[in-house]
Amino acid sequence: MGYSNTEKEYVLSVLARNTPGVLLRISGLFSRRCYNILSIVAAQTENTEYSRILIVVSGDDRIVRQVDKQVSKLVDIEEVTVLNRDEAVVREHLLMKVERSLQNSEKLVEIANVFHANILNVQPDSMIVELTGDATTINSFIELYNPYHVLKILRTGAMAMMK
Amino acid sequence: MLLTGAQIIMECLLEQGVDTVFGYPGGSVLYIYDALYEYKNRINHIRTAHEQGAAHAADGYARSSGKTGVCIATSGPGATNLVTGIATAYMDSIPMVAITGNVSSNLLGLDSFQEVDITGITMPVTKHNYLVKQIENLADTLRRAFQIAGSGRKGPVLVDIPKDVTAQKYEFTPLREPLPMPKGDFPFPERFDQAVELIQKSQRPFIYSGGGVIAAEAFDELKDFAGRIDAPVSSSLMCQGGYDQTDRRYIGMLGMHGTNTSALAIKNCDLLIAIGTRFSDRVLCNANLFAQHCPIIQIEIDTAEFNKNIDVDLKMKGDAKEILAHLNELISPVSHAEWMNQIEGWNAEFPLVQEAAEPEEVTPQDVIETLDRLTDSEAIIVTEVGQHQMWAAQFYKFRTPRHFVSSGGLGTMGFGLGAAMGAQIANPEKRVINIAGDGGFHMNCNELSTAAQYNIPVIELIFNNSVLGMVRQWQKLFYDNRFSQTDLDRNTNFELLAQAFGIKAMTISVKSDIEPVLKQALALQEPVLINCHIDKDFNVLPMVPAGASVEDPILEM
Repeated sequence: MGYSNTEKEYVLSVLARNTPGVLLRISGLFSRRCYNILSIVAAQTENTEYSRILIVVSGDDRIVRQVDKQVSKLVDIEEVTVLNRDEAVVREHLLMKVERSLQNSEKLVEIANVFHANILNVQPDSMIVELTGDATTINSFIELYNPYHVLKILRTGAMAMMK
Repeated sequence: MLLTGAQIIMECLLEQGVDTVFGYPGGSVLYIYDALYEYKNRINHIRTAHEQGAAHAADGYARSSGKTGVCIATSGPGATNLVTGIATAYMDSIPMVAITGNVSSNLLGLDSFQEVDITGITMPVTKHNYLVKQIENLADTLRRAFQIAGSGRKGPVLVDIPKDVTAQKYEFTPLREPLPMPKGDFPFPERFDQAVELIQKSQRPFIYSGGGVIAAEAFDELKDFAGRIDAPVSSSLMCQGGYDQTDRRYIGMLGMHGTNTSALAIKNCDLLIAIGTRFSDRVLCNANLFAQHCPIIQIEIDTAEFNKNIDVDLKMKGDAKEILAHLNELISPVSHAEWMNQIEGWNAEFPLVQEAAEPEEVTPQDVIETLDRLTDSEAIIVTEVGQHQMWAAQFYKFRTPRHFVSSGGLGTMGFGLGAAMGAQIANPEKRVINIAGDGGFHMNCNELSTAAQYNIPVIELIFNNSVLGMVRQWQKLFYDNRFSQTDLDRNTNFELLAQAFGIKAMTISVKSDIEPVLKQALALQEPVLINCHIDKDFNVLPMVPAGASVEDPILEM
C-alpha cells in the first residue's frame, strides 16, 4: 500500500463536545496507543457546547491515519480533520524571558523589532518578549536570542485553520 | 411520574427490555437495591459472590443471547472489581452496561470512603462512560448508554451514579421504545464491483471469519456466501459456530493454534476474504509473513481496524450481514472443485488427534467429543483461558452462533464460571458447560456458591492436570523445561470443595469413566462439578511459535 514511511508532523483539528474529561479521553487514547503528542491546544469554540482541540503529532502517514480513525471513534468527537500545512494557516504563540544588561539591551530590542515581536515587560535584569508566528519563525527568533541567555520559554503549541 | 433516581434506573432498564441484572450491593447503591426490592417481580437480580463474577455473568449473558448484559456494583472496590470483566467485554466487543454507584456528589473528589474515579479508571476499557451528576440527565444517559453499547462495533459502557442522584426525585417520562440504533455505513457500489471482480478472478478463495460474523448475526449470509464462491471457511476463536463446523467447507481455526489445513489453505489460496475480524496477533502470528502473496478483502464494521495490524487490498466497511447479503445478490455461484478437493484431502490427512499413552488414559479430545455427542452439538460451551480453551474450540462441533463463550482478546482466567451462569440464565432451556482448567477454576471458584444458591444448573468440567498447562507448554518449548511456578500441586480436593458449596461432584480418572459420568451430570438439573484428571503433558497442537509464519505450525512436540 502506498504509505509514506517518513516521520512528519501533522496537525489534527478535533471538534469535540464540551463534556467532562473529553481532553483526558483524547490524550489517554494517544498514550495507550503509543502515539506521540508534540503539542496540544484546546479551547471553546464559537459554540460554547464545543471545543476545538489542535494536536500536533509526529509519525508517518499510516500512524496519522490510525490516530484520525481512533480519535473519530470517541463518542464525544464530532469531527477530526488532518490539516495539510500548505492549505492551512498555522500559528503558535511564544513568551520568552531573556537576561538583560545595559550592554545588550539595545541588541535585544533590535531583534524583537526585526520580528515585529512585542516587548511585554522590562526589568533591570530581564525582559519578556512575545511573538506569534509559524514554528519556523519562532524557532529562528529563539535562536537569535540564545547567545543572550534565555531564562524561560513558553510556547502554546500550534493552532491551525484551513484557508 | 415523579420517581427517585433509583426508580428511574429501574424504569430505564425495563424500557430496554432488561429482565435480569447481575450485581452486588453496597453503601453507594443502597437506593438502587431498595428499588430492585420494589421491582423484584420485573427485574431478576442475581447476587454473585464477587463483583468480577457479576461482570463476567453479564458478559456471558450477552454473548449467549445477543442482548446487552447489565451488571451493578457499589463504589470503590465494588467498581474496581468489575474492571477485569469490563475489559474482557471490551476486547471482544460485547455489549454490556455496567452501573456503578459512587459517593454523594458533595463527597466526590475528597478521597471519601469507598470513593474511586471509576470513569477515569475504565476510560481505556469502555466504549464510553458517564458520570451522572444531575438527575435530569439520568434517564437519557442510561438510554444513550444502551444505544452506544449495542450499536456499531458493540462494547461495554459504564454509568457511574453518585448516591444522592439515586435518592433525588425527578419527573420521569417513559420512552415507548429504546432509542433507534444509528444507521451504519455501507460500502460504495464500486467497492462491491471490485470485490466481485476479485472473487470472480479467484481460483482458490479462502474465507476467514471472525467474531463480527456472530455480532452481526450473519450466519445464514456467510453460509450462502461460502457456497456461492465455493470456498473453504476457517474461523478465529471468536467465530466458533459462526459457521456450521460439521459442514465440509469448515476447516477449523486459523492462527496460533489453527489447523494444518487452515495453514495450508492460507499458503495456497489466491484470495483471502476476512469477515468481521480485526486480524488479532494470535491469528496473524508474524504479520509480515501473513498472506503476502494474495489480495485480501476485509469486511469490517470498525474503520480503525483497516490497515491497523495488516494492510488489506479492499476495505468494505459496514455490517457483515448487510454486506454479505448484498454480495450474495451480486455473485452467481461458481465451482472450485479442484481447490475444494485439495482442501478435503488436507482435512483427511491432518485431523486433530490426541494420542492416549495407554488404552485407559483420558484425553481431553475424548472427553470433549463425548460431550459433543451426548449434547448433539447443541450445548453452550464456556471456557476459562488456556489449553482447555483451545481444546474446547478444536474438538466441540459448534453448529450455530452464541454457543461458544470465551474470553478471546483479553484472555481472562477466571472468566468461565461467572460467564457460564450468565449464559445459563439467558438460555434456561440449554445445557451450559464451563470447560475449565484447574488454574482458572481456582481463580473464581467462589462463584460455585452462586450457582448453588440460585440452582443454576451449569456443569463445571475441570480438566485437572495440576499445572498451568499453556504457560508450561511455552516453558517446554522456549524455556528449556524450566517450569517456573507452573506446577500447581495444590492438592485442593475439588470434590470436597464442591460439596462444601452444596454442589454434587463427580470424578473422571480413566477413559471408561468419561461417558457414564458425563451422562450422569447431564441428567441432573442442578449445578455439578466434574473433576477430570488428565496428564499434564498434553499439548495444544498445532502451534505456531512466536515470530513464525502462520503457514508453518509445529505439528508435534
